[in-house]
Amino acid sequence: MSSSHDVRILTSKAAAPIVRRELSRRGFFALAAGAGTTMVLAACTSPDGTPLPGATGGALENALSIYTWGDYDAPEVLEQFTTDLGPKITLDSYGSNEEMIAKLVAAKGTSGYDIIVPTGVYIPQLIENGLLMPLNRDLIPNIEYVDPAYLARDWDPENAYSICKAWGTTGFVYDTTVIDRELTTWNDFLDAAQNEASGRTSVLDDPVEITGIYYWANGIDWDTTDAADIDAAEAYLIENLAPHLAAFDSYPGGAAIPQATHALMQAWNGDARLGIMNSPEPDRWKWVLGAPATELWMDNWAISASAPHPEAAHAFLNFVLDPEFAVAQLDYIGYHTGAKDVEAQAREAGLEMLDLVFFTPEQLATMQDGEINEAQERNVEIWNKLKAAAGA
Amino acid sequence: MRRLRLPGLALALPAWVWLAVFFIAPVAVVFWYSFGYKPGLFGTHATDRLSFDRYLEVLTPTFFDTFVATMNIALTGTALCFLIGAPMAYWMAVKAPPSWRGLLLALVLVPFWTNFLVRTIGWQVILSPEGWLSQAAQTLGLPAFDILYTRGAVLLGVVYNYLPLMILPLYVAFDRVGEPLREASRDLGAGRFRTLWRVTLPLARPGIVVGVLLVYIPLMGDYITATVLGGAKGNMVGQLVAAQFQTAQNWALGSAMAITLIVIIVLSAAAVGAALWLVSWPLRRSYRVRLDSGVTQ
Repeated sequence: MSSSHDVRILTSKAAAPIVRRELSRRGFFALAAGAGTTMVLAACTSPDGTPLPGATGGALENALSIYTWGDYDAPEVLEQFTTDLGPKITLDSYGSNEEMIAKLVAAKGTSGYDIIVPTGVYIPQLIENGLLMPLNRDLIPNIEYVDPAYLARDWDPENAYSICKAWGTTGFVYDTTVIDRELTTWNDFLDAAQNEASGRTSVLDDPVEITGIYYWANGIDWDTTDAADIDAAEAYLIENLAPHLAAFDSYPGGAAIPQATHALMQAWNGDARLGIMNSPEPDRWKWVLGAPATELWMDNWAISASAPHPEAAHAFLNFVLDPEFAVAQLDYIGYHTGAKDVEAQAREAGLEMLDLVFFTPEQLATMQDGEINEAQERNVEIWNKLKAAAGA
Repeated sequence: MRRLRLPGLALALPAWVWLAVFFIAPVAVVFWYSFGYKPGLFGTHATDRLSFDRYLEVLTPTFFDTFVATMNIALTGTALCFLIGAPMAYWMAVKAPPSWRGLLLALVLVPFWTNFLVRTIGWQVILSPEGWLSQAAQTLGLPAFDILYTRGAVLLGVVYNYLPLMILPLYVAFDRVGEPLREASRDLGAGRFRTLWRVTLPLARPGIVVGVLLVYIPLMGDYITATVLGGAKGNMVGQLVAAQFQTAQNWALGSAMAITLIVIIVLSAAAVGAALWLVSWPLRRSYRVRLDSGVTQ
């Protein structure tokens, strides 16, 4: 505020900083409105049109809005942030990346969300649509506590826009009272599905996970766009797997494992762990990490390009990466947070079934980052055909 | 003072505005998108080039097979709801003591107090092979039953979720026929069956049509009930539309599918209506009362 427009306000000592902050924000908005929108846009976009970091380490705003997957953060961690640093958190949730992206695109920068948590393979799409704010890494020194194994993934090699929030992988769970041999690979999965577990097998309700089974089993690149590979996957899955499928279930840990409705289920590791822990007979179930290859999916902290509270958003990212909260977050969601020494802490805290959360470097080396590519439409087509064939 | 007279249409204005904003406009947008295309990997729709190509893409064997399966479940489900709901509604409107009716209506509505998805998942728990129902059957010496993830389970869920939508309009329809007309029918020598066939059912026909449509139309679009209880056996066409909008992010193709479905549903509802009309046509002719001549034909 310029000195020619000095405003003098009598207030209590405690309220003074808040009043000052509010006034200067409003002053800024009034100025911005007067200057017209082009100036505002120019202020947050570089000459080539990519958004610039909107945070410089200034005072935190008094609110923070997080748009994330349902029930994805330990409430005590969020409460601690507000207690320590002040901004009040508003949580909103989505059920799929597409839903979140559609909402951000439709809002054209007025969504009001600060933090979003996209899955890695969707980050290129978000960047291309100008929906992500580049991170000001100077404000997030705690990124040093993230294991380098979970940084610099294919979708954001510089971590310019995103930092690992949690990651998981795909494997399967089987009922040892129905299948009494040892299953260890995707080929075993496909074989058991067509034999002991025929009519009692479920796969994830996601096109790339289903075609993935075939590619991983046969040593084909999961991201293949080769028509011959795709045709082969389609023919095999529809002729050999579809007649034996009982369900397309992305969360068998929710009901199918505790209620023993299926004998063989493709599952994500955290969901499988939850299901086995909730089963009345946990010893009945065996988890197998997909082999010889499988996926590594990762949900990532990111900041919306139109974040109304960029300073608070950066402060939150730095706060939540503090190793102090890693175990609480891991315990709450059942997936690895990517923090460096979280494994030792989790063992010390006595968490159960950690072999479904932590994997060896050799296993990690077999996990592939996915990507959304030209094969997506074919994958969806195969998924629909498979459903029609399995329902017939 | 002159009284302000509003045209009759003004009373319907809120409803028209509602329909225009929340029904006609969205359907128009979907219709518009259906002529567009998916522009590249990360776009969902574009309409700068218009064509009928998406409609050609819709008509695949997958769509056809899935549509037939959906129609099968929707028609069987609607028939079951009618067969179970009609006697119940008739009993409530005609036979039950009038003082019970409020309570009975409330009981029919009780399931709506709980979320649709929660109710359906509740059945999944009950029907699972190691659920309490199966275990109770086993303790009674019956075989363990494995109904979950079959068409039977889908139909059970459909009847459970949609029965109130059938009972309510039928109840209103049977109730409106009224005791005096039934009494008159009996006075004129008709038996119970004749009264039902020639008086009650024809007069209740609008309610029957409403009940059938209220169950059939949402059922064609519902894929939650079917997938929760039917698993792979509950594949519905609504799922295909959702797959295009969500996973494939091809809103143009998804819109073309949605429009195709709307057209087919309207046509099939019209076909059912025409069939009902044709079936009842001879009945209406032979029993029509002509007031000018005062004699039946």
